[in-house]
Amino acid sequence: MADTLALAEAKSLVARARAGDLSALEQVYRAYERPVYSLARRLTKSAEDAEDVLQETFLEVCRSLKQWRGEGSLWGWIRTIAASKALMRYRREKLRAWEPLEDDVPRQAEDVPLQMDLESALARLPERSRAVVWLHDVEGYTHEEIAELMGMTTSFSKSQLARAHDRLRRWLGAGVGA
Amino acid sequence: MSTVRHATLDELLALRDGEGSGWTREHVADCSVCAAELARLEQVRSQLRALPSFAPPRDVWPVVRRAAQADRRRRRISAWSGALAAAAIAVLAFTLLRPSAKVAPEDVALQKAMAESAAMEQMFESLHPDRRALSGQAAGVVADLEDQLAQVDAALNDTVAWRSNPVRVAGLWKQRAGLLSALVDVHETRASVAGL
Repeated sequence: MADTLALAEAKSLVARARAGDLSALEQVYRAYERPVYSLARRLTKSAEDAEDVLQETFLEVCRSLKQWRGEGSLWGWIRTIAASKALMRYRREKLRAWEPLEDDVPRQAEDVPLQMDLESALARLPERSRAVVWLHDVEGYTHEEIAELMGMTTSFSKSQLARAHDRLRRWLGAGVGA
Repeated sequence: MSTVRHATLDELLALRDGEGSGWTREHVADCSVCAAELARLEQVRSQLRALPSFAPPRDVWPVVRRAAQADRRRRRISAWSGALAAAAIAVLAFTLLRPSAKVAPEDVALQKAMAESAAMEQMFESLHPDRRALSGQAAGVVADLEDQLAQVDAALNDTVAWRSNPVRVAGLWKQRAGLLSALVDVHETRASVAGL
């Protein structure tokens, strides 16, 4: 996603928000609420989880505004907070409930030839694979950055990407966007 | 008889991302199967990027705004606490170091109320209230308590009153401890509901 705020405008809004101007903070919120929520929907299991991530992200943005120095894009900074919150939620859930490490798609279901649309196929991917595909192919994160965000290794990120594309190929059939 | 090895998915993804090996690059140039697979991977990426975005089902801004306002209040409280402590020490020193003074009961009550307030404040800070998301109702209660706390702190900042009416000052410190205790309760309830 291209940054919806020009850097100069973002710097000005953040400076005002830091000084206590709630209207400036709201402009920042309005500029990024949809992209943050969309990213959270791709990285979490449900709309409710995504809404929580949206809230947690902007609470963190409020607390940490002074940490954004204006050197990179504001969206890049907020996006990393959002991804981190979404993945943190996932890691917390993993501590509470055991889940198979490699596959959470039943083997039998995988073997059935399917012809799905891309949205359905993406939703069907295991959460971790979907997160890697989205962060890498759509958001443009490197495997090193994904590994850091997920607390895993670079080779884990690469293997999850390959697994995800292997599954997408089978599920989508011959026509990619069928 | 020679066996043709096609590029693996990992190798093709690396090539797609500009990190492919020389062998993969040369192989794809000569192999129509792998070239088609590479094109397919590029097409999937393009189509992923073209998927629609989602609109949040509810407006979360009111919650964020309340949190930002509460955060600002807390910073004020924190700043005032330092000033209050300094003022309290100065007044107590003045009271206790008077050559002829005995420790008056109101001074003892004042010291006790200040100690209670300090203990509650420490407990409140240990809950890291700035890191918690609150429901709309809880956020309203917290905002109200913090407003009352700000008023008590403003009254305590009036150091002239300290000398003229020490009983009232002790009462303010007690009130301060009570408000902090209520804030602790709200945040502890939130923590237990959320399983934190």
